[in-house]
Amino acid sequence: MRILEAQNAVLTNVEVYTFLSDQAKQYQSQKRRGPSNLETLRAEMLKYFETPPNPLSQKPLPYDVASIPVLLQRLQPYNITKGECIMVVNLRPTTSAALNAVLEDMEGRFSEQQQDEIINIIIEVLGEFPPPAEEGDEDAMGTTENGR
Amino acid sequence: MFILTKIADLVQIPPSQFEQHSRVAIENNINAKYSNRVIQKIGLCICMYDLLWASEGLIGHGNGLVNVNVEFRIIVFRPFKGEILFGKISSASQDGLQIRTEFFEEISVSYKELPENTEYDHNEKAWVWVVDEERMHYDKNEMVRFQVLDETWDDQLPESGDQEAVDRAKSVSPYTLKGTMMKEGLGVCLWWD
Repeated sequence: MRILEAQNAVLTNVEVYTFLSDQAKQYQSQKRRGPSNLETLRAEMLKYFETPPNPLSQKPLPYDVASIPVLLQRLQPYNITKGECIMVVNLRPTTSAALNAVLEDMEGRFSEQQQDEIINIIIEVLGEFPPPAEEGDEDAMGTTENGR
Repeated sequence: MFILTKIADLVQIPPSQFEQHSRVAIENNINAKYSNRVIQKIGLCICMYDLLWASEGLIGHGNGLVNVNVEFRIIVFRPFKGEILFGKISSASQDGLQIRTEFFEEISVSYKELPENTEYDHNEKAWVWVVDEERMHYDKNEMVRFQVLDETWDDQLPESGDQEAVDRAKSVSPYTLKGTMMKEGLGVCLWWD
């Protein structure tokens, strides 16, 4: 084995999730099984992505790979770094506290109005969890816990 | 969280797999070798992303294996320093918290990296963050956001050929992450959302 390039590109969660779920579907339609280490790992990873509050747990998927350039363009005026953008795509912070975790020195860099603008852009492009359900079964409880 | 790494390697396809399309046989061999394995200073390999190049197959002398030189890109789990991830609390001790994801378990958060006014409850075996007299628990299996502080690598090479040394080397995880929750918005997700 020889490493030709340690880091050729960075992938967001939605790209990896799409790749793995497409692979699972493709293998199934071809009646093909990958090596057992891959099959196990793939199932674990899909489960990770589909566990709330991961935004990818929302069905239908609230955003896809095509949403990334749209988000980058909308956030461009705010000088958010590449790493921060990756975290925004992966974690979809839609509250002020969650955004604070992702942006370094948020209070120093952005006014409250700007913070609200950023959150609104995130919600517009990447969606958000539905508002808490009034009453219902256990599923609805899950949404309550993870909704805003 | 994920990167693509470009690798060159030699794939050996045994005669039993000749009935497969060579693309399928190559992909399966690469994934069998790399998937769920840690490459030192690279990360945890997930699976082949794309095959960039493959040589003609050359049949080896004596064993009938077809040798193919390949170049491919592979998806690797390698969060960057400062990155925030979702995880789940798997256990707690006086030293801090152990965090895991479904596919990666070696994440620890030292008690020094929990917010001020956090104390260990010996009865409940859980860390508790006390805010205005409200006691907020870091319960087991709770979903958290944590920030990656540091990574450690261990090549698992034994100091000698003794079985004991070999076992000891293997008991160390090849790749571990250290995290922090010392920032508003980190810690148990329910507190913030």
